[in-house]
Amino acid sequence: MRVEYINPFVESAYNILTEVLKVEVQRGELYLKNAAMPMLGVAAIIGLAGDVEGRVLFDMTRETGIKVASGMLTSMDMDPVEDLNEMARATLTELANMITGQAVTKLHNLGFKFDLTPPAIFTGENMSVSDSNFEALIVPMDLPMGKIEINVAIRERA
Amino acid sequence: MTSQIERKTEQHKEEVAAQDVVDFKMVTFTLGGKDYGIDIMRVKEIAKFQQFTYVPNTAPYVRGVYNLRGDIISIIDFRLMFNVPVEEKPEGKAENGLILRLEQNQLGVVVDSIDKVVGFSSRQIQPPHPIFGDINIKFISGVVEHQGRLYIILDVDRIFQKEEKKPAERPTAAETVEEEPEEKEGTAEATSAEEPPPEAINREFLQEALSSFRGFYVSGVNDQWFISRMGEWELSRREKGLDVQITDRDEAEAFLAPFWSRCNGSFWEEALLRSVSASLPDLENSLVHVWNPGCGGGHESYSLAVLLRERYPDVQLKIWAGDTDLMKISTAPNLVFQEGEVPASWSDYLVSGRNGYSFSAAITDLILFEFSDVLNGTALPRMDMIVSRDVVSTLEPAKQVKFFATLEEVLKPSGLLMLGENEQPLDMSSWELIDDTISMYRFR
Repeated sequence: MRVEYINPFVESAYNILTEVLKVEVQRGELYLKNAAMPMLGVAAIIGLAGDVEGRVLFDMTRETGIKVASGMLTSMDMDPVEDLNEMARATLTELANMITGQAVTKLHNLGFKFDLTPPAIFTGENMSVSDSNFEALIVPMDLPMGKIEINVAIRERA
Repeated sequence: MTSQIERKTEQHKEEVAAQDVVDFKMVTFTLGGKDYGIDIMRVKEIAKFQQFTYVPNTAPYVRGVYNLRGDIISIIDFRLMFNVPVEEKPEGKAENGLILRLEQNQLGVVVDSIDKVVGFSSRQIQPPHPIFGDINIKFISGVVEHQGRLYIILDVDRIFQKEEKKPAERPTAAETVEEEPEEKEGTAEATSAEEPPPEAINREFLQEALSSFRGFYVSGVNDQWFISRMGEWELSRREKGLDVQITDRDEAEAFLAPFWSRCNGSFWEEALLRSVSASLPDLENSLVHVWNPGCGGGHESYSLAVLLRERYPDVQLKIWAGDTDLMKISTAPNLVFQEGEVPASWSDYLVSGRNGYSFSAAITDLILFEFSDVLNGTALPRMDMIVSRDVVSTLEPAKQVKFFATLEEVLKPSGLLMLGENEQPLDMSSWELIDDTISMYRFR
């Protein structure tokens, strides 16, 4: 993945998570991956288009998903969720949108033009994601609620 | 006392293995926490050494001489001799030791602690494994398991065969290399006969050390270099009286120092630029794609960009440069350097900034730096040229195969491949050598 793309994603993930959840966020070591990756249970995905093609995927366990959604909701004086219901899904979708949106804005300022697709959310057991010949950058984020893995795969349009 | 222990062990022995005749006894002791034994026929007595008389100008493991009831004997410290850690003893406290009875004389050895005497059938003794213990294999006559403990039986006749104060060499950890040439006469014939073929072991150990200390893997890619370097290394280490074996990262670096290609990690100098430029063909197409996997901090990629721009002024150039080192590759797009670091002829492509020079857009626009691992496969377009110097040697052999498969997949027919100066493709049949000094190959 192009070097210039890395920081905007890492920074906005950190910024948004700290800001929205008001918790301490720790960034893990970045690494690259390409083989099929097992998914943790809840995944929000946003496609990228424009100068590039690719996608950003936010992956976490169901439990973490519920806690993160609750955290976001309570910080906005709303009731926490007990289950991965409609409200929880919408909240996580919004979180993914905020992070990706900020990253894309940063990239735009650097002169890269990206468009976003509307986010989608997947839930289920034993899921895995694979895109052959498409290397993904993994940005692990450690929160008190658990781990969110941000999986960014972008390639230049030939 | 000793005989009591002997009797006890013998009894025990009979209980556990009545069918085995006890025909070998040894005195056991510890060195650096490991168990060793010496044939009891060679041990005159167990002793405590209190006061040595220091003898100047002897090897470090000669502790001095000792007056044993009127006989003056030399005292050797096994721990120093075999480079095992020495337990700190309070000043003036007696050292544990054995008095050995050798063919011609007596000798005292200092050990950590004396354990006991054990007896067993000599059939239980197994030959030592080449990487056994901290002591050179040829000083070990065998290994035996006794009551759940593993004893290494030292061959004292062989250790002290030349002259008691001057063993053939300083054996060290895991060393099983060929003899170092001894200044004392009479060593050559004594050592050559019973040696296992040292070449193979030597090679294996060096390869192992290079991969673990420096992540460098010997394979068909670099073994021509490795074999000649091994000879050189052996000679130079012996001249300095050092061990041939590599025991830490610095030594691995020293071994590999001549491997790295010219200007590895820096901008290419004029001579290299000229030879690379000379090996490039004249082009008909107007588009040149170059891939530079393992570009590190980007110096190589920039050198290539300038070189190709000069060589092909009118074509459309594009260089993909990738590395798995996030720290290095992150600095590459905005590389800043001082004037002296680049050849003087590059001045047209430089812009000066607050912290030094950087490349003008005419050059930086040619290169796309990626945080990427070749082994993850690639979605790159077909390349006219691939430059990857000293990269494949740092991949494990299985990954090297994959690496070349990826290169062959991406490279256009009759595309060029530039490897490290001491590297060559694994499978030469798909490649044609163009220039050996810069390791330039053409894909068939």
